[in-house]
Amino acid sequence: MKPKLIIGIIAIVGFTSLLMYNFGNSISTYVNFEQAADMNNAHVVGSWDDSEEYGFSMESKQFVFHMKDEAGNVRRVVYPQSKPNNFEQADRLVVIGSMEGDVFYADEMLMKCPSKYNNADEAQFEKANAGNS
Amino acid sequence: MIKFFGELFVNAAFLFAILAAIGYFLYARSEEDRYFKISNWLFGLQGIFLLAASGLLVYIILTHQFNFYYVYNYTSSDLQLKYLISAFWGGQEGSFMLWVLFSILIGLGLMKWTREAYRGPVLFFLTLTHIFILSMVSGIPLGDATLGASPFRTLAEAMPNAPFLQSNPDFVPQDGKGLNDLLKSPWMMIHPPILFLGFSMMAVPYCFAMAALWKRKYNEWVGPALPWTLGANVALLTAIFLGGYWAYVTLSFGGYWAWDPVENASFVPWLLGTAGIHTMIIQRKSSTSQKASIIFAILAYVAIVYETFLTRSGILSDASVHSFVDLGLYNQLVIFMLAVTGIGLGLFFYRYKELPRQNKESKLLSREFMTFAGAMMLFLIGLVIILGTSSPIIGRLFVENPTPPEVSFYNDWTMPMAMMTAILTVFGQYLFWKRQDAESLARDLTLPVALTCVVTLASIIIGEVRNIYYMVYLLTAWFALIGNAIIMIRLIGKNPMLIGGALSHVGFGVLLLGILASSAYNNHLLDPATRQYNAAIKSGNVTDEQGFRKTQTVDFLELKLNEPKVVNDKYRVTYEGYTLKDQARPGQQEYRIKFEPADGEGRQFTLNPQVYPMLASSSAQNIEWSVDPDVRTGLLSDIYLYVSGSSYVQQKNEEAEERARQRRQVEPAAASLQDSAKTHKIEIARGETASVGPFDFTLKEYSQETDESLQDSTVIAVRANIEVTQRGSDSSASVYPLFSIYQKDGKNWSYAPPTGIPGHSGTVQFSSVDPSTGKVELTIRGVDKEVQEQWVLLVAEEKPFISIVWLGTFLLMGGFSISIFRHWGRERKKG
Repeated sequence: MKPKLIIGIIAIVGFTSLLMYNFGNSISTYVNFEQAADMNNAHVVGSWDDSEEYGFSMESKQFVFHMKDEAGNVRRVVYPQSKPNNFEQADRLVVIGSMEGDVFYADEMLMKCPSKYNNADEAQFEKANAGNS
Repeated sequence: MIKFFGELFVNAAFLFAILAAIGYFLYARSEEDRYFKISNWLFGLQGIFLLAASGLLVYIILTHQFNFYYVYNYTSSDLQLKYLISAFWGGQEGSFMLWVLFSILIGLGLMKWTREAYRGPVLFFLTLTHIFILSMVSGIPLGDATLGASPFRTLAEAMPNAPFLQSNPDFVPQDGKGLNDLLKSPWMMIHPPILFLGFSMMAVPYCFAMAALWKRKYNEWVGPALPWTLGANVALLTAIFLGGYWAYVTLSFGGYWAWDPVENASFVPWLLGTAGIHTMIIQRKSSTSQKASIIFAILAYVAIVYETFLTRSGILSDASVHSFVDLGLYNQLVIFMLAVTGIGLGLFFYRYKELPRQNKESKLLSREFMTFAGAMMLFLIGLVIILGTSSPIIGRLFVENPTPPEVSFYNDWTMPMAMMTAILTVFGQYLFWKRQDAESLARDLTLPVALTCVVTLASIIIGEVRNIYYMVYLLTAWFALIGNAIIMIRLIGKNPMLIGGALSHVGFGVLLLGILASSAYNNHLLDPATRQYNAAIKSGNVTDEQGFRKTQTVDFLELKLNEPKVVNDKYRVTYEGYTLKDQARPGQQEYRIKFEPADGEGRQFTLNPQVYPMLASSSAQNIEWSVDPDVRTGLLSDIYLYVSGSSYVQQKNEEAEERARQRRQVEPAAASLQDSAKTHKIEIARGETASVGPFDFTLKEYSQETDESLQDSTVIAVRANIEVTQRGSDSSASVYPLFSIYQKDGKNWSYAPPTGIPGHSGTVQFSSVDPSTGKVELTIRGVDKEVQEQWVLLVAEEKPFISIVWLGTFLLMGGFSISIFRHWGRERKKG
């Protein structure tokens, strides 16, 4: 009885701590471009900088735009998909990927679109669905 | 009027739910039959009022009463009937009502079939959940706040800050916002109702477990609870399958599973329910695991309520693709969750000392131990997924403002656990039907182990598996499949009704094989140049202008009209043009992508992906496009593709941008633009075709016009019938330009107004006719002479063995269904 109990407790504690440790590693917090410099899979929050040229290039097959993060840094963002379909409407963007020099390569993009005329501050992120260039 | 009755009916149902709960409580305590009868009437009245309220909600949806927020927010007048009906459960409020409606049906069944000691408490706890859920749609004002959100609230109540309502409170919009285009799918008809059926059925094991604790009858409850739990599981599994299939064939996520919180929301209760089924089965057979059965029955429902909270409180709105927004129900959902958990676990620990405990420990090699271990594995998988899904809450322990976990977190944890579960299924089944010691078990397992090794080796060689983790995975999956299949074949000979468990486990093995094959061998279909480029990226040989290494591959396939490309050395793919399909969704294009085998052997086929403008969020100045993929399903592999861009879409976007520019600028600029538009003259005879820019003009015929609306002085009037076809499109339009000569002041004047080309800004003018040759001169304006290339940009993937995933799911459903019949039949015989 005793040794079994001890093994059981060790197994539970081991499993739980390993799980929580791994969970802690696999989540991160939302950052700005400077903090993202040496991160993999960084989640950067910001908004689209519409003063710069943007668009999907048929040559490189990439969607390129500039994003201003919450600290005010503006960086070029390269996204290897077509332009998400409600890109222009989004008032907040989350790009997930990594920095290479001054360019952010996004693997995934989430958009938060404002919904009009609602008393509650409701807004929703949408995964960048396949849109059209 | 409708508003008054709607709210009255909802709140009457709410009130009768409370009264019925009180009645059942008294019945459960006193066991006097009259309380039971009265409570049943109250319960039934609750159902009638809720049905009436639902009828009214459907009525205002069908009659387009846009002064109601619910109708305005989820429907529009052009919506087809099937989507209008689906709008009933399209929003949060309606889906709560549907949930309770199903639950009431289940309650009627429980009333009829549940035996004496349990039926009072069972119905009491079921009605208790109705009180909580109905409070979400009550809409009774409580001081500053409102209890729930009524589906019958008006626009002015729902959006007091909207400017158009502040100026005119009685304003009724012409049209509603409409159903999200992505939800306009036949699956919307069937997926949500089945899901809520599963949710409401999962309350039954919870109620039985609570009844067992209340009545201190800890053993007999599993018999009647088992078929209900199995039924809940089949419903949830069906809903999960439909959701996955829907995501796969009509949304462009590119797969059937993405660990999205909403998907997890139905998967975790399924896992816990399945764990509960396992412990209930061994409890019924050997009177062990009473505690585990009760705990799993409680937790399965707690999981449903918890995941309802996660997806409906708005807490996940940052993390999920499709969770609901907060309706102000946050606090009520928290109370519901705390009540279900608190009452459940509270009563469990209150009775804990009394609960039967095992005197003897189960041996390692016993069906009790193996089945229990399997249930524990399912439970742990559920815990891992709950942990991941809860990252916005639990993640705060680690970081502020946490992101959702990486997908690898789910895969890295659940897959090894699924592998262990796969091994346990075989041991469990071999021990389940026969008492065995180590020696006899080893003898029995020789055949499955040998077969598994051979088949695994074969699949490693055929599938060119190099990854050691995949090899172990394959071994376990084949072991589950083969081991359980052998058991199943033996059982069929004895009694086919007994194969439910073995069949489900075979399905589980098949599912595991399908998951690996479909995700590990997923291939983008690309032309040789792109594949070379991607190979260079992978080996790190591509750098950008600043000398940084590029890491992103290109996964697009670009096709020019009628210029075939060979992809993956397997298919010759040709873009053959598109058709405008206005009747399905205005502006929808259907593309034709032809696939031929590259080596010329085998059948060719055509895929028809669609692109359509999302009308709800588009304007003349800015069009938002959405896509509808097409999938060719095959036994061995699927071909999945969607259109990511095309020359047609680009042209439409440029036209929209042009309109936006014209709007911003002053009008004259636009006028001068019109003047400088290019003019082309063509001469064609009857039956001939001439091309200008992207258009082909065919003169079908021309004839004398005798229309009376022409001026009296008209000498001659000729109307031509010209067919205009845009290259690449097979839909054509006809224009009928007029050429006429009339007399005024003794002179001949010609009158030939330019006629617009449908769907384009250019015009056609019938400028003259040559009587000697019969040729017609057309003047074309506003059409670019330069032929724009017709192209399409595709994302195309070859997805092998998706069919195996579906097969595994069907086998699981089949196994569970057989078990329902078996356990139901046995319960009925008892009664």
